[in-house]
Amino acid sequence: MNETKKCDRKRKKFAARLKTSKGILCVDQPGPNIVLCNVGQATGFEKADVIKLLDTVRLGEKLLNFIAEKGESHCYVVFNDFESAKLFYDTYNGTKAVTQVPIYMSYVDNVPKNEVICNYEIPEGLKIIENFITVDEEKSYIQLFDWVDESNLKNRQVKHYGYEFRYGSNDVDLSTPLSEKIPEECDALWSRLKSCGIDFRIPDQMTVNKYNPGQGIPSHVDKHSPFGDTILSLSLGSPVVMDWRHHSGKYVPLVVPARSLLVMQGEARYDWQHGIQPRGWDPIIEIRSSNQNTDTKVRVITNDVTQRQTRISLTFRCTRRGPCDCRYKALCDSVQSKLIEDGVASRLEEFHVHQVYEQIAGHFSSTRHKPWPKVVEFLQSTPTGAVVLDLGAGNGKNVLKHRNDILQLAGERSAGLLRECAAHVRGASADCVRLDLLQAPLRRACADRVICVAVVHHFSSQARRLEAVSTIGSLLRPGGKALITVWAKDQTKSNYLSKDKENQESNLHVTIDGINLPIHENRTQFKHNDLLVPWKLRKIKENKLENQSNTTLLRYYHVFEEGELDNLCTSADLVVERSFYEEGNWCVVCTKVEL
Amino acid sequence: MKLITHNMLTSKCLKGVLTGYPLAINATDVKVNEVDFNPDFIARIIPKLDWEVLWRAADSLGHSEGLPQVVESNYEANQEFLKTAHKVLLEVEVEEGYLTCPESGRQFPITKGIPNMLLTEAEVQ
Repeated sequence: MNETKKCDRKRKKFAARLKTSKGILCVDQPGPNIVLCNVGQATGFEKADVIKLLDTVRLGEKLLNFIAEKGESHCYVVFNDFESAKLFYDTYNGTKAVTQVPIYMSYVDNVPKNEVICNYEIPEGLKIIENFITVDEEKSYIQLFDWVDESNLKNRQVKHYGYEFRYGSNDVDLSTPLSEKIPEECDALWSRLKSCGIDFRIPDQMTVNKYNPGQGIPSHVDKHSPFGDTILSLSLGSPVVMDWRHHSGKYVPLVVPARSLLVMQGEARYDWQHGIQPRGWDPIIEIRSSNQNTDTKVRVITNDVTQRQTRISLTFRCTRRGPCDCRYKALCDSVQSKLIEDGVASRLEEFHVHQVYEQIAGHFSSTRHKPWPKVVEFLQSTPTGAVVLDLGAGNGKNVLKHRNDILQLAGERSAGLLRECAAHVRGASADCVRLDLLQAPLRRACADRVICVAVVHHFSSQARRLEAVSTIGSLLRPGGKALITVWAKDQTKSNYLSKDKENQESNLHVTIDGINLPIHENRTQFKHNDLLVPWKLRKIKENKLENQSNTTLLRYYHVFEEGELDNLCTSADLVVERSFYEEGNWCVVCTKVEL
Repeated sequence: MKLITHNMLTSKCLKGVLTGYPLAINATDVKVNEVDFNPDFIARIIPKLDWEVLWRAADSLGHSEGLPQVVESNYEANQEFLKTAHKVLLEVEVEEGYLTCPESGRQFPITKGIPNMLLTEAEVQ
């Protein structure tokens, strides 16, 4: 009896949460949709587990759909008819059929439709020749290459022919060919490929990979310089979804069927990365007509999944010597990446930092009011009589007006933001100065504390970022402390990411003085360290922010890797006292050493 | 610009300038704006200041009355002194005018109470 009550209570609590967070209503009337709570993607619950439960009550055929959203500890099952749903519900509700934790169920009016639509066409230079070999040929190839366990990669089993592929450097050592060449059984493939009209050289290197369900391969481009312009991959055993990603943000999930030959040339070979997710299933991918234009086909990653089987792939490459001569530079190992030089850096900052802040000052300021809790915490321990510099103070939101026992000096470059700042600090033991951090017009060692929040990421060269941190060091008294924060490249632990935007990216670039900078799609994970972040400007009319944005301005950011800010501080002779991640920012509290 | 701020400003980033301190003040508009008096704060900040520079700045604005040219010992206990110092440090504000670099003569405008210390790239060391 107690158990039933407990079950009911849990269900009610969960139902309320589901309603507010997803807009899905739990209903008493049995229907085809059921939500299962306590099990989901986050708990490792998979379609296979549902199938097991269904098989025991002979409902295997009745399942229409299984939906387990990323990061959730609940999931949904959809049946063909409500009788099957009811049988499933009555059998398993409140039981510990899967884990130690009981599964609580409810009928729901609706299930989330989280299909992902991919608008991009398949990479140029990529061909999938379906049924390239017959079922009998597939069998004999599998016999030829299904070796006994000689696992030497943690994710899959691999064997090389012709030359050994070195995974650390992603190349081959041409001076040590293997005694085992590509088996002559493969020769039949070449004439067949020629008759398909593909222009290629006969490969001299082959890598055989065996992927068990659950295994994958990280996203990669086959290194340019050691291999020629055609890479071939023959699939045996099981179809798989291969993810193709372009550095512009384009993403194409592609079904690679068994017995197909994948031909990678041109852009697909040189400018795209491909990989296979490590999981035991693949989503069903449908090709549909676009809603906007029926002539355009789009790829849809549906909620439905299919189980993977063991897959064996034969990858054929042609070795070559010397630097790569391709025309795709982004992923080419023969191109040195161009660093942003000092002269370019200051012009870039003038256009994409200073001028932008002047234009967005009013709107920017209206979105930032409260001091950041970490600043309040940092200043809490500041003793009476301390001099605090807030460098890059913006509208002065981090100037704590109630602290009449310390001097707070707000330094800011934007005149627009400083006007807001001056109005904010009026009547407090605080003041404003228009300054540039790299030309700080302040006496050496004048400060007991420096805060520098979300500033250093706007300097566009390593030298200037170091100079900024060194300046902070020179302004501090020995024993003085600074709090420095910058945007982190890794936004996965912040609220910044939007779930709807995972695969929706822009591929625009802007070139300044020969520096090609990608434009970031807001609310997605950062893919580059140096980039432009759009600010959709809204005007203020009668003290209210207009709903519509009429102009988009681009702010330059260098987003930081973990430990990068710590290294800057150490290089500037500051001792890192504390280093932490907070809401998408890397933060450091550092001290200037006593003399 | 408050005089406590002026006490810390320099033009040392200018090319060819060694200390750039103190900056001369030319004011066309000076106001006195009330700020909460915290005697403990004033007492503790005084050792961090260049008092001579403060006195001369206050004098150039006509606000040195009652302000000693040299800080006496035991000043921490002298409420009247702390109050005068408070006024000069935090309440006297240059609204309009300019600062002048003592070495190069470069002028930095003060507009609506904010000194503009920005330099062009050509002016920097």
